[in-house]
Amino acid sequence: MILRPINRKLGLALFFFAGVYLFLSYQIPSYTYALVDADVVPKGLGFLLLILSILLFVQKKEETEQEKEKRTIPKKELYVLLGVAGFILIYIFLLEIVGFVIMTATFVFTCSSFLGYKKYKVSVLVAIIFSLLLYFLFNYLLLIHLPPGVLPF
Amino acid sequence: MGSMEGLFSGFQVAFSIEGILFVFLGVFIGTFIGMMPGLGPISAIAIMIPVTYSMDPALALVMMAGVYYGAVFGGSSSSILLNAPGISGTVATAFDGYPMAQQGKAGKALAIAAIASFTGGTISVILLMLFTPLLASVAVVFGPAEYFALMLMGLTAISSLSDGSTIKAMISAVLGFMAVTIGIDAQTGTQRFTFGNINLLEGIDFLVIALGLFALAEVCVLIFNRKDSSGGMSGNIGSLKLSREDVNEMKGPVTRQSFLGFLLGVLPGAGATIASFIAYVTEKRIAKRPEEFGKGSIKGLAAPEAANNAATGGAFVPLLSLGIPGSGTTAVLLGAFLVLGVQPGPLLVQDNPEVFWGIIASMYIGNVFLLVLNLPLIPYIAKVLKVPRPLLISLVIMFSLIGVYAISFNTFDLYILLLFGVAGFLMRIFSFPAAPFILAFILGGMMEQAMRQSLTISNGDWLVFVKSPISATLIGVALLSLIIPLLKKKPRLVADDKNLKL
Repeated sequence: MILRPINRKLGLALFFFAGVYLFLSYQIPSYTYALVDADVVPKGLGFLLLILSILLFVQKKEETEQEKEKRTIPKKELYVLLGVAGFILIYIFLLEIVGFVIMTATFVFTCSSFLGYKKYKVSVLVAIIFSLLLYFLFNYLLLIHLPPGVLPF
Repeated sequence: MGSMEGLFSGFQVAFSIEGILFVFLGVFIGTFIGMMPGLGPISAIAIMIPVTYSMDPALALVMMAGVYYGAVFGGSSSSILLNAPGISGTVATAFDGYPMAQQGKAGKALAIAAIASFTGGTISVILLMLFTPLLASVAVVFGPAEYFALMLMGLTAISSLSDGSTIKAMISAVLGFMAVTIGIDAQTGTQRFTFGNINLLEGIDFLVIALGLFALAEVCVLIFNRKDSSGGMSGNIGSLKLSREDVNEMKGPVTRQSFLGFLLGVLPGAGATIASFIAYVTEKRIAKRPEEFGKGSIKGLAAPEAANNAATGGAFVPLLSLGIPGSGTTAVLLGAFLVLGVQPGPLLVQDNPEVFWGIIASMYIGNVFLLVLNLPLIPYIAKVLKVPRPLLISLVIMFSLIGVYAISFNTFDLYILLLFGVAGFLMRIFSFPAAPFILAFILGGMMEQAMRQSLTISNGDWLVFVKSPISATLIGVALLSLIIPLLKKKPRLVADDKNLKL
């Protein structure tokens, strides 16, 4: 039960993270003639995080109701969140292959439908207008070229 | 160039056709984004950065400044109409603004907020114009040791002053500093934490972090609240007219809190949130009828509104004169400056007078736009709140992804963006503030450089940081601001506590 308060768990996780960061900091090569080498700041930060994680672990401050409330996420909502993250991953993976316009329009439509928006006509219209508008704005006005993918323009 | 002469040249930038157009666009877009609950000035500025890439830096920054105070203003409108503050700086606005809206006086509340914001904003611009060149002239004598001490003070102040746990804020700052150590070390060329990945050689772009930690993390919260109806606001907002008594009642609080808000805005770490809460509490304390506060008091609405806008102007002082941001929002704004090739700091007035004075002049115009244009437009802009949440969420995700892709044209950065979105969400649910993270990320690189330069000059003598009285004092203040909050119990700023005590 020593790990019951959430801050203890967080403190422990951060302690391990600081340990890994410190280990990696000690792998940074150093130069004989550099007065203050590239590893000085990372090592300092690693030790600082180590101290702060211990302070977080030992502090007696109770979590407020507001803080507890922030942490309570229904399982169903967590799946929704993971679903959206999945859509984003697919979008990133296919962006340069399929192209900006098709992928953006598909994402806006699919994601809004997945999140419960049932007015499909509006959704399709917004998705197409939004992606075309942004594509032309970036490509022709701002001269920032977004990937055309399979489209010829 | 003297202040008046400089301001005149600034007005030439701001009063050109493009200048007026971009100020208007900035203010309008800022108001629009700021009204969406969850999306504040940080997200608004970050989302707008890619749009400014090919623009003239002066005009781009004039627009960004407009986005900033437009977003603060927009946050007030959603506080009043929906009791859903767009940003933390307008939480106190909802205490009396929302009860007024419930009494059918939403129009009046919006008018009071607009006039108080206009006054706060205008007073702060005048003070900004006077103070910034003064501070910049002092800062030109700063060496690397003084700069290091100053940045350290800025960083510790925001960690200790932000709401919630000081330790968590410090951890957040350390993690932000760690993120900036990824990439090639600028002084020795050594690779740090790149794991052999060429995409990490140049480090992580600040926009990736800003959009991940703020915009994408906000999206997660929006996903949980997507079923909330946009209701709360009836179609009718009532008259916008104010009586002579109303104006007389708001005169005192607005004037007082404009000055106080500005001063609090100048201090690193304080910013609009603390300024608005302090304004609310002070006015309640000195009011003849404090029992009216929380029930639709004009004073209770006008005071935080004047203070948060004045603080926005105040926050520009350290940014423009020292090149050091005092808050998360100004840190992102500093990033925008750097992306556009403008280095804010003591030499800005000298090297880029059109940018410096252009921003100041645009603020005068921007404040007028906020008042004259937004007031009659508010009922229409408020319709943005009726955009269905699922659609809004999809569009915000898209804006964030495009924003990042447009800088690097590399999908690797998009994966990192998603990673920071997850990190931002975890930080939010475990109550780690994100502002110290972004501030440390922006300041970290500069701090390391200043520290190593100082030590190189002093031949490795660490006492270099306390030898100069300026840096010794600044380091002393930094240490005190760290130690004091750890020793004493800090008052909590709770959004829904109407009997707020500080």
